[in-house]
This record gives sequence, structure tokens and C-alpha cells, in this order.
Amino acid sequence: MDKHISSQFDAELAGVSSRVLELGGLVESQIRHAVFALSQFSVEVADQVVATEKQVNAMEVEIDRELSSIIARRQPTARDLRLLMAISKITANLERAGDESERIARMVKLIVEQGITRSLPSSELRVAADLASGLLRKALDAFARLDVQTALVIMKEDDLIDAEFDGFLRKLVTYMMEDPRTISASLDLLFVAKAIERIGDHAKNIAEFIIYVVKGADVRHTARADVESVLK
Amino acid sequence: MTTTTTLTPSGLKNAIEIRDLDFYYGTFKGLKSINLDIAEHKVTAFIGPSGCGKSTLLRTLNRMYSLYPGQRAEGEIRLYGQNILDAKQDLNLLRAQVGMVFQKPTPFPMSIYDNIAFGVKLYENLSRSEMDDRVEWALTKAAIWNEVKDKLGQSGLSLSGGQQQRLCIARSVAVKPKVILLDEPTSALDPISTAKVEELVNELKSDYTVAIVTHNMQQAARVSDFTAYMYLGELIEFGQTEQIFMKPARQETEDYITGRFG
Repeated sequence: MDKHISSQFDAELAGVSSRVLELGGLVESQIRHAVFALSQFSVEVADQVVATEKQVNAMEVEIDRELSSIIARRQPTARDLRLLMAISKITANLERAGDESERIARMVKLIVEQGITRSLPSSELRVAADLASGLLRKALDAFARLDVQTALVIMKEDDLIDAEFDGFLRKLVTYMMEDPRTISASLDLLFVAKAIERIGDHAKNIAEFIIYVVKGADVRHTARADVESVLK
Repeated sequence: MTTTTTLTPSGLKNAIEIRDLDFYYGTFKGLKSINLDIAEHKVTAFIGPSGCGKSTLLRTLNRMYSLYPGQRAEGEIRLYGQNILDAKQDLNLLRAQVGMVFQKPTPFPMSIYDNIAFGVKLYENLSRSEMDDRVEWALTKAAIWNEVKDKLGQSGLSLSGGQQQRLCIARSVAVKPKVILLDEPTSALDPISTAKVEELVNELKSDYTVAIVTHNMQQAARVSDFTAYMYLGELIEFGQTEQIFMKPARQETEDYITGRFG
């Protein structure tokens, strides 16, 4: 990323890249707090997650402003252009992952307000939630190092989260059939599970943009085998 | 590093085919084994740092170098199949077929009308009214007719730089060439005149094949269909302009177009 003839351009690209990582760190902690709030049914921590959302939104806007400014002044091409395109997309994905964690936090508050239903399989969601937040962290690390092999691993691991979600969904259905009184709370948990699954998808999207930056290939909506052949 | 494969965009007819072209300034080899096709009715841009050979390559395409002793080209340049490097090639005819516009506008010190008519008279014997039509046609093609139609008797030198450049383009169009070579056509022009010339290039390609040398990479990106990146007398990469600017195949190309140290 370095060694442009214009060192100022290098500084601008490095600057906006580190802003993305900063945003990523913030969203990651937001997700971790949301998962904690879920496991402890902590309204206090859930409130923190909701409050962080404003900060995330402001950073997204700021990064987009920086991107526009760089594009207007530098007319980037090739890898530089792909990097800036990818940053724009990655930022949007991070912000939406943040939205999902906020959604989880709001659900936690709702579940608590309705009367805590500890009999529900909420702890099982933690497996998927840890996977998802770990995946997002991995995606940010891979972006920082522009590591396409890790990006591929992330895409595969997102499949695991999707499988977890399907399994959890079946379990919830069983619960609801056994005890219809849990239907309302079960649906809340279903939304939480869906939010976790979406966070995994956002991590996967970020991984796809890392491959785009490095290899110049757009691997969205592409069969896994074809992605692997791009990386060979 | 020498590019031996010649990329021919599928489905396109070639106006010019360059094969194993070497060029010498005395003993210095300015071009090394160039193989390149220039597609008909498309704009092909040559980019690269100063001294890379892009202007040299352009100047071989109408043998402009023949004006200078000690300069010679070896290999083949086929213009619609005919090797123009052949010793028997009529240079005047070649330059009527392959017109050229230079970096600095070069209007002749004569009226706007005569600037256009001068070249035509060398090749064709037209009546006064036919010549009037040809002058209007060429100036219209070069998108300058409306600006000069009421002052055709004035000196070409009275025009602004951008108008002079379009006058020169009209002059090369007037003899109905097959190919137009543009050597840094806008580097001496302001942004508005530059935009007009770029717009003109886009219109010219429906009738002519255009090859353009430019230092302004964004200009190459804007106006050309194909881009050739040259370095130290070699053709490093040649491909569709979009591919070159989005995802060049070679690191050297990428370093150049993104403004990195090679």
C-alpha cells in the first residue's frame, strides 16, 4: 500500500484504512457486549450497546467523507481504486453488523421486560455468537494484512454459523411445540439468532472484498470452488 | 519482458498491425520488438514515462521519423495489410492516409480556410465550391465550424490555443485519412479546450482509427478503448482500457498507473 511517489497519498490511504480498523474494533466490542448482555440478560450492558450505535454511525459517515475526498483529489486506479471501493463496502458491512448487535441488545431488553425466560436455550446462541464475533475479528485482521488465504477461511467458517443457525431454528421449533407459552420469547430469540447469522454474513462479505482488493476478482455470488481457483 | 504475443481483441478488424518492430536512433535502440494491433474505429492510447518510446512508436506509424537522418525502423507495420516500412512506400500518400496532430498547435500562417484547403490541394483537384464544402465538412468534423464560419478569411494564428488545435485536427481530417495520430494533443490546452478535444476524439472514432499518446493517464482512461503501456522501449502491457486501469496484469503497469515507484 506504501511507496506512492506522493507520500501524502500513502498517508491518506493508510489513514482511511486505519479508520476502518478503528470502526471495526468498535463494532466488534459492540457485538461482544451484545453477546454478554444476552448471556447475562443484562439490561445495563444492552443499553451500552445501543448507545455505541451513534458513534458507529458517525464513524461510517466520516470514513465515507474521507473516501470521497481521496477519490476527488487523487483519481485512484487499479489496486488503489479497488482498495477504496472495498473500504466503502467494508464500512457499510461493519455499520450493519453494528446494527445487528444493536438489534440483539434491544431484544435482550425486551426479553427481560417480558420476564426472564431462563428455560429458553439462550446459552446455545452463545456458540454461534462467539463464532460470529470471532469471524468479524478475523476479517478485520485479514483486511489489515490483506491476507486472502484467511479471507477464504472466513468464507468457509461462515458456513458453520449458517449451520448453527439452522440447528438452533429446529431446536426453537421443538420448544415452541412442547410449550406454546414459550412461543413469544422463542420468536424473540429467533430474531437474535438471525442477527448473529447476519453478523457472520457481514464478516464473509468483508472477506470477499479483501480478495477483490488483492486479486482484482469480484467473488461475490461465486461458487466456493471458483473462489479457490482465483486464489491459486 | 518482451511481449511476444499480440492481443487481438476478438471480433475487431485491425487497421494497423505492428510486427517485431525495432527502432533505432543511430545506434540507440528506441523500440524493441513491438508487436501490437490497432483496431479499426477504436481509440488506442500509448502511455508510459518520458523516454519510454510511446511518441517514437506513434511517429513510426506515418514514418514521420524519415525526416531525420540516422533514424530507422525494422520489422513490419501493416496498414490494412500493406507494409508501410517498405522502401517503395510513397510517403506523401502514407501521410494522407495517416494524419498527425502534434502537442503544440501548428496552424500554418495563413487563413483558416487555407489551413484546411492547403493539404487537400496536394492530393485532390477540387472546384471552388467543392473545396468550400470540404472545408466546411472538415471544420464541422473537428467541432469548430460554428466558432469560425464567420471568419474563415482570418489568420489561423488568431484563434485560441484550443481552437488552433481543433483547426489542426480539421486539417488532418480534411484529406480523409484512415488513421489519425494524436501526439499529446491537449498538453498545451486548458481544461475546457481539453474536454472539447476529448469529446472530438470520441466522435472521430466512428469514422477514423485513432492512436493517441498522452502523459495524462486519466485522459487515456477517458478517451481510449485500448491502452498500451510502454517502458524503456518495450511494450509491457496491452489490453482493454478498462482492464488496464482496473486490474492491470503486470506489476510494472500497476506501479505506473497508480503513481508508485517502479
